[in-house]
Amino acid sequence: MPLLDFLNFYLVPGIVLGSIYAVGAIGITLVFGILRFAHFAHGDMATLGAFIALALVAGGMDPWTALPVAMAATAVVAIGVDKAFYDYLKARPKIVTVMASLGVALMLRSVVQVVWGVDPRTYATGIVRPDSYFGILLRPRELYTLASVVLIVVGLALFLRHSKWGKAMRAMSDNPDLARLSGVDNRKVTMLTWAIVGALCAASGFMLGINTELHSMMGWQLLLPMFAAAIVGGVGRVEGAVLGGLVVGIAEELSIFILPAQYKAATAFALLLLILLVRPRGLLNGKVL
Amino acid sequence: MNKKTLATLVGSLLGAAVLASPAHAQNVKIGLLGGISGPIAAMAPSMLDASRLAIAQVNEQGGILNGGKLDVVVGDSACNPQNATDAATKAVNIDRVIATVGPHCSGAVLAAANSVTVPAGVLMVTPSGTSPEITKINDKDLVYRTVPSDDYQGRALARTLKARGIDKVAVAYLNNDYGKGLAESFKAEYEANGGTIAGYSGHEDGKASYRSDLAQLARGGADTLVIFDYGDGTGLTILRQALENNFFKTFIGADGMKSEAVIRSLGEQNLGGFFASAPVGEASASLDAFRAAFSAAGGNPDAIFTTTSYDAAFLVALAIEKAGGDKAKLAESLRAVASAPGEPIMAGEWAKAKQLIAEGKDIDYKGAAGDHEFDAAGDVPGNYAFFKVSGSTYEAIADMK
Amino acid sequence: MDLLGLANYAVFMAILIGIYALLALGLNIQWGFTGLFNAGIAGFFAIGAYTSAILTSLPAAHRLGGFELPMVLGWVAAMLVAAAIAWPIGKICLRFRSDYLAIATIGIAEIIRLVIRTEGWLTGGVRGITGIPRPFGELPYMQSQLAFLAIVVVLVLLAYMLVERQVNAPWGRMMRAIRDNENAAAAMGKRVADRRLQAFVFGSALMGLAGALFVHFNRSITPEAIDPMIATFLIWIMLILGGSGNNRGAILGAAAIWIIWSVSELLTDRLPTEVAIQAKYARVFIIGLTLQLVLRFRPEGIVPERQAGAASSRR
Repeated sequence: MPLLDFLNFYLVPGIVLGSIYAVGAIGITLVFGILRFAHFAHGDMATLGAFIALALVAGGMDPWTALPVAMAATAVVAIGVDKAFYDYLKARPKIVTVMASLGVALMLRSVVQVVWGVDPRTYATGIVRPDSYFGILLRPRELYTLASVVLIVVGLALFLRHSKWGKAMRAMSDNPDLARLSGVDNRKVTMLTWAIVGALCAASGFMLGINTELHSMMGWQLLLPMFAAAIVGGVGRVEGAVLGGLVVGIAEELSIFILPAQYKAATAFALLLLILLVRPRGLLNGKVL
Repeated sequence: MNKKTLATLVGSLLGAAVLASPAHAQNVKIGLLGGISGPIAAMAPSMLDASRLAIAQVNEQGGILNGGKLDVVVGDSACNPQNATDAATKAVNIDRVIATVGPHCSGAVLAAANSVTVPAGVLMVTPSGTSPEITKINDKDLVYRTVPSDDYQGRALARTLKARGIDKVAVAYLNNDYGKGLAESFKAEYEANGGTIAGYSGHEDGKASYRSDLAQLARGGADTLVIFDYGDGTGLTILRQALENNFFKTFIGADGMKSEAVIRSLGEQNLGGFFASAPVGEASASLDAFRAAFSAAGGNPDAIFTTTSYDAAFLVALAIEKAGGDKAKLAESLRAVASAPGEPIMAGEWAKAKQLIAEGKDIDYKGAAGDHEFDAAGDVPGNYAFFKVSGSTYEAIADMK
Repeated sequence: MDLLGLANYAVFMAILIGIYALLALGLNIQWGFTGLFNAGIAGFFAIGAYTSAILTSLPAAHRLGGFELPMVLGWVAAMLVAAAIAWPIGKICLRFRSDYLAIATIGIAEIIRLVIRTEGWLTGGVRGITGIPRPFGELPYMQSQLAFLAIVVVLVLLAYMLVERQVNAPWGRMMRAIRDNENAAAAMGKRVADRRLQAFVFGSALMGLAGALFVHFNRSITPEAIDPMIATFLIWIMLILGGSGNNRGAILGAAAIWIIWSVSELLTDRLPTEVAIQAKYARVFIIGLTLQLVLRFRPEGIVPERQAGAASSRR
């Protein structure tokens, strides 16, 4: 097979897919790391974010302008969900919060279905043929997707490393008791975390939607690969989630060489089990919960 | 529990059983069981609307039996056996339906028929359960379908493509009973007629990218891709990614792909090379009548399985009328109203049918989706046409043999 | 609506509740008493279901099986095969702690589901398996349902008594000790890894049995039945709501959730048909909300764990 074909039809799609997984996995890893539970409503929150953007696009906005607005709106939703359904379970075993997030997933999905219906939707009609960059075929929306992912990841990394609140979040992730003792306001950190997670959800849902279609089950179907990506990369590590997302995305696209296509969806899990066996802390040495 | 209350309870149970006999009931209730939540959530609403159109027509044109009303109860079978048996049990026992239209998915049909409706003696007509396994249910003649088993369509499509001079294709199918059934029968017939399958692979739904699948299929060298999938589901993603990357020149779908979501999302100017097969009625006047009525009611007559859903509900209503509301005679009556000979009845002609039945004349329903001559297993053979995209909808360009 | 219909409906619900109760009991052994976060219930349910289906169904051309063995053999085999597959999985995965084990078991269950969907020669693939016998299936509807209910009730009671006996035996006290403080238990010379593996295998066998009962009830099995939502997460909700660590709670939770799940549809049916479809989506919302309310006001479950001795603290 010519190298260019390999790049265009296997590797580049894998990277685009992986970037979308990465954005979702960052959110999962933040919840895992800072709030210490598996957030099952993550996928459906992404669906909601994507549909909020759709409503804005239907109102005449350009999709890429709608993205930040949808991110902000979903951030508010995420904070609201936390206040309404997760916050008072803090003292209970974490499994109870996990169950609550499952219930939230159902509720968010039903809101999407009632408000926007169940038909597949798109941000724009028509197809886009790619431009060639030295033989590498890329569409504008794929370039924008990759650029946005880089922007989000770099921005988030800088925020976590250098800002006061970012440091507080990392402190809480490392040791919540110690963080509290050193004067970190847990409530504010939790709120901030949910704002960021909500925005990331909307971003991942939007990018998935603009590269394929939107439908009410889209987020739920991506939930498990995103979990796999978060764990493969190492829980609690933003760079890990990015790496994990890319690894899972590329592995899925390349799996076609060795496995029947029906097993594409199994690749993420096989990879996950392998990593858990040989390197349980993930590629980038995350924490063990 | 003491003896007296036990006796009272048994007495009331027996009394209830006697009272429940539908012979003198004015209103008749049927169940519409559909996969409202779950994997086919996008398709179910149109199908249910089509069934409800048939019921609305019955009620507008004189009602059922002695001017009674045909009532419906809608159940969510969610495309899985657990919810399907639950919905069927509620419909049969709580709402006392004497027939059900649906469930939609084959797995749901198998479970609901085997454990609920057949033992309870309730007629079931599914508009979309396409699995060959449904043929094999030990059903006491109570399970029917208005949609042909996948076998017919896959074979007809294979012959049509060969006849149109397409000798080499790649096949991508959705790995469920619908996609796989079509793909297998297509492959067998196409190869038997000397065609070459230059790529053949299944896929799971809900993935974001199928480009490597498509690249792999394209490596076989075929110019034509046959997609057995749903146009308002994964099939749309596959078609988009195939078009955008120039993997193939021509795209062929079965009825599942003949969805307006495809035109709406991809644009007609990009779909010059896209064709689809779909069942059509022999008496196309019936299909036209259905299309006009369903469009007027705000429905989309091109959505998948709407014609079969409409026919299933209309046939059930005819059978009830013919049987005089007697549950035990429903199956026999269904065969009578659906099969030749008899005065032809088109979609929407309830008043005429009611009149003829009252006069004791034999009728033969010619549906929107076909003539519905049930065979011994309750299956129907299909009539298909080959469609191309024209404007914002599809246009038939050839019959399929 | 009439009494006979209601009775039929109640019997049907009781059968499914019984099947879900077996799943919840199996999960209770793993989570409630041992602290193993198994989120791959659907996988073991599927293994039991397909094992019994292959062994007892009528022969079919396109797949393995159709041995027409007696049903009881099928049930025993379902438990044995589920246990046999749980053993290596447990051996490898039980070293992961809580959430990791959950994700690993979800992954395994998804792989099992994909294998079942794809390997048609073994499982009938997406078309599933039909022609499965049902005990007392030839009887009229009501009697047949009652007979099946009786079988389910007997099996649930047997499982309940078995689990209760184990839990109240020294084995159970040791399990709780391991769950609540693994290091202390190990320090006292308990073979922690072996005990946890036993609990995992035992619980999985019960899940396999539930799967077998389910296929014989429906006389068929298709891969849609092992969707993680209804075959894994729903059972977790049942156990957490009923009260994990308490077997009666597990059974009660199964009953409560299935009744809410099923009866909520009867309520939406009373709405006009124009909004009936919308109402089905709203029903899912109500289920989610109910879960939140129970977690809010009764987070320890309907029947909390009986505290034996000192209060236990858990993650």
